[in-house]
Amino acid sequence: MRRSRRSTRIATAGLLLGIAILFAFPLYYLVVTSLKTKAELFAAVPSLVPQALNLAPYSSVLFGRGFTGLLVNSVIVGLSATVLAVLVAFAICYPITRLPASRRLRGFVLNWAMSLRFLPPIAVVIPYFAIIRTIGLYNELPALILVYTIFNLPLAIWMLRGFLDEIPLELEQAALVDGASRWQAFRSVLLPLSRTAILAVVIIVFAFDWAEFLFAFILTATPQAQTFPVGVQGLVTQFEIIWNDMAAGGVIAIIIPLTLMLIARRHVMTGLTFGVIREK
Amino acid sequence: MNVAPSRSMTVGARVAMRTGWSRRTRQERLVYKLLLPVFGTVFVLATIPFVMAVIEALTAGSRGFVGFDNFATALSNPLLFESIKQTALYAAIALPVEILGGLGVALLVHRVVRSAALRAAIYVLAMIPIVIPQIAVGVVFRLVYQPDYGILNVLLGRTGADQLLWLSSPPLAMIATASVDIWQWTPFVYLVLFAGLQTVPSESVEAAQVDGASSWMQFRHIELPYLRPLLLLVLFFRLADVVRVFDHVYVLTGGGPGTTTQYLSLYIYRIGFQFSDLSQASALAVVVMAAMTIFYTIISRFLPADRG
Amino acid sequence: MRLGKWTPLLAGVALIASACSNTGAPGGGATTLTIAAVQGVEDAGLKALAPMYKTAKGVTLNIVELPYDNLYSKLVSTFQANDSTYDLAMMDDPWMPKFGTDGSLSDLGALGISRDSDIADVVWDVGTWPPPRGPVPPSEKAKPKQLLGVTIVGNVEMFMYRKDITPTAPASYDDVLANAKAQKAAGLTGYIIRGKATNPVVADFLPILWSQGGDVFDENWNVVLDNAASKAAINFLVNDLKATAQSDPGSTDAADRDKIMANGQGYQSSVWPGEINTAVLDPAVTKVKDKVAFIPIPKGTSGKGVGMMGNWMLGIPKASKNQQAAADFIKWMLQADTQKTYAQNNGIPSRTSVLKDGSLAAANPYFPVLAEALQAPPNWRPRTDQWNAVETIIGTELNKALTGGETGDEAATAAAAAIRTLMKSKGYPTQ
Repeated sequence: MRRSRRSTRIATAGLLLGIAILFAFPLYYLVVTSLKTKAELFAAVPSLVPQALNLAPYSSVLFGRGFTGLLVNSVIVGLSATVLAVLVAFAICYPITRLPASRRLRGFVLNWAMSLRFLPPIAVVIPYFAIIRTIGLYNELPALILVYTIFNLPLAIWMLRGFLDEIPLELEQAALVDGASRWQAFRSVLLPLSRTAILAVVIIVFAFDWAEFLFAFILTATPQAQTFPVGVQGLVTQFEIIWNDMAAGGVIAIIIPLTLMLIARRHVMTGLTFGVIREK
Repeated sequence: MNVAPSRSMTVGARVAMRTGWSRRTRQERLVYKLLLPVFGTVFVLATIPFVMAVIEALTAGSRGFVGFDNFATALSNPLLFESIKQTALYAAIALPVEILGGLGVALLVHRVVRSAALRAAIYVLAMIPIVIPQIAVGVVFRLVYQPDYGILNVLLGRTGADQLLWLSSPPLAMIATASVDIWQWTPFVYLVLFAGLQTVPSESVEAAQVDGASSWMQFRHIELPYLRPLLLLVLFFRLADVVRVFDHVYVLTGGGPGTTTQYLSLYIYRIGFQFSDLSQASALAVVVMAAMTIFYTIISRFLPADRG
Repeated sequence: MRLGKWTPLLAGVALIASACSNTGAPGGGATTLTIAAVQGVEDAGLKALAPMYKTAKGVTLNIVELPYDNLYSKLVSTFQANDSTYDLAMMDDPWMPKFGTDGSLSDLGALGISRDSDIADVVWDVGTWPPPRGPVPPSEKAKPKQLLGVTIVGNVEMFMYRKDITPTAPASYDDVLANAKAQKAAGLTGYIIRGKATNPVVADFLPILWSQGGDVFDENWNVVLDNAASKAAINFLVNDLKATAQSDPGSTDAADRDKIMANGQGYQSSVWPGEINTAVLDPAVTKVKDKVAFIPIPKGTSGKGVGMMGNWMLGIPKASKNQQAAADFIKWMLQADTQKTYAQNNGIPSRTSVLKDGSLAAANPYFPVLAEALQAPPNWRPRTDQWNAVETIIGTELNKALTGGETGDEAATAAAAAIRTLMKSKGYPTQ
């Protein structure tokens, strides 16, 4: 019994390790490619390790091509749209999960949110383009913030609702019975308990915003409002793929969100130390 | 505390039972007062482009309103059905792996990994594939799969195995493109489901363990019910996103060999921009949305998001 | 009462919206011209000219680079919306029919730009809409001819081979095939096929099709892609040349072809000028320095070798608010001295005198060939706004045949049928 348990544990660990390697290999190769010179990339037989730490692709992407401005745009758009989407989603989820909303209303809101995701973006990109131009936001960051907020609502609403449903109503009720206002109950009871949920949603929504290309491309015209993925797209030209700069772009696209997480690590740790909801 | 008894009722009913009629009406009014301004705004904002897409689908440039002509044209092209078939196959390869894989890893990490810091680290790292620009993902996988200089064939060559034409033999091209999807999106499924697993009350799990429930029973009867809405979410998100796959396919195969990897999004893009027929592309998109909605309605009957 | 809670949020959104709604276009006395350009070697020269123009005329050039496919969809959508962001747009010549048909571009003649005998006629013809020769789309016949685009990258598809292996240039496609077989036997890639689905494979194929006496359309828009000569050309590519090609022609794009050639693993292929200095002969990567010759497309069974144009043009969107300033830039750019500076900075000029300038030929050994190819003249892709659709159809079937999904004859029949259906539905007298 004990023996078999131990072997299961080893098998499980082995499985997780195997998955981790499969998962990590393309990332590893991305980093390797970003460090190679053009001559190395043209070699007939590719290598698994770069000859030297060639950082030229990084300086090319950040400075030579001037993508730093695009990164700043991406961060502004990503953070604003994430915050807005989560706020709006919370505002929508609160009444349908914490208050006696009719089943029909609840179903309507949730199904509407899901259906928002079903329309292939290629169909709405031109209408959005027309609308954004009409309200004078073409080639402006707020256009992207607005559109990303709307597009990430389905995810944010569905995830938040999944979490909020699980927070017992009794906890807020108790606060209300003790004489707290609904606002106070929300602030002091629900909000602290939803921290995990909110952070989990923030991370995924930000990730989606960060890599979006199609709308960023259609709704902008110049680097003034373009985002990082739009710049990176340009590294595949008609005749040439600039492999190392492209890979460096990929690595930079990873580093920024990870750095943001690191800066906010105290909040990330307290937020993501999952299981808070139930152990209270 | 034990919250299990109220699980079978809607939230509304639970509150109503406890608080009585007069309070309920007041609270119900509060629901609308809170919901209307925000929901109403985003509803309108998101619906206008949709309505415009529908109008586009019912008109044709200078000819104005043409009824369902665009739909008829769209549905009479055999390439559409070819594309739907290939998209379905792609989904059939990618989705089960992503959902079962993501669920499996979420359960494994949930049960095996105890350190909070490690859990948080895995969670943050799982975000990586999602934040890389699509085109860069496609380019890296091209460096892996390209038959002449791709690292995969080089490694296969070292083991003495046959080198394969990953990008231009029909089944392999589909598997290659689907594998990119799996690599990129299994972590997303993990992110959602792992977060969901944390909402399962530890009391219920402990009670089950005391009763001697197996790991499987614990999953089937305690954890799965909590994951239902999130499973519905990831299933339909992945399904809707299969209709959006574009960049990595474009870089890897350009839709080839022949039309093997000309998935729906690539097909609709070609109709819209290469064939310059945005009306037909809109008609296609509306059809896709209708089909997805019908599919969603049926599936959500079997996998109700609301327990009970 | 709780309503108030969300008011600031909504007000905030509205405020941001209104604050940013003053997207003013540059005013009348243009000091900035925004150019939509294609990303890659094609706009290298243009970027080099920008600071010079600023010094010479005090006008800032704001060059917005977009990759090939994206530039096309971006131009289609901005033209459709009549947006004034771009004052000048770079366009691949097969896009011209679409923009000409849609009436998206200004008449450059009216802005004072006229033909110049130092630039090949074909260069002016390709920028004229409706086309001055060849079949004209039925909807365009009544329109007056206007100059809508001026070539800034004189691009003609050429042929390259390893002159260190076979000193004599292949005179015909028979030679090409014989050499390919011999070099394949010697362990090289005999002919590198650029065979990735849609646009890439079509660009590789059309010179072969034309040289072998085939075509896509005849003079009356009838589809001839399935006649005997066209079928023979398709079979030549998907059977004969494929037997000597690299392991996976079906997924090969220009970047892959150049890598094979630069590595010394390949013997010959078609080539665009844009691929030469950044890859095949790039000193940082090439192993075939001084070993590659560039020649016009070899003769086929038709007795001619027909190159294909891929000129990049500069046009002025009708919606631009800086029409004259944009035209002034084009005029300045076409001056002989500007063209020379342009050529020294990786630009591909179109002036015959500049292409034949001995001081430039050392760094750009293909310039004289290009001048010759432009005089030939090369073929352009059929002048119809349906070209992108036609190209997608042909490119899909060719790719299928190249990867063994169907025979060359089947590809010809399937593509021809699909093109007929398409053209008829668009009102062409196609049979």
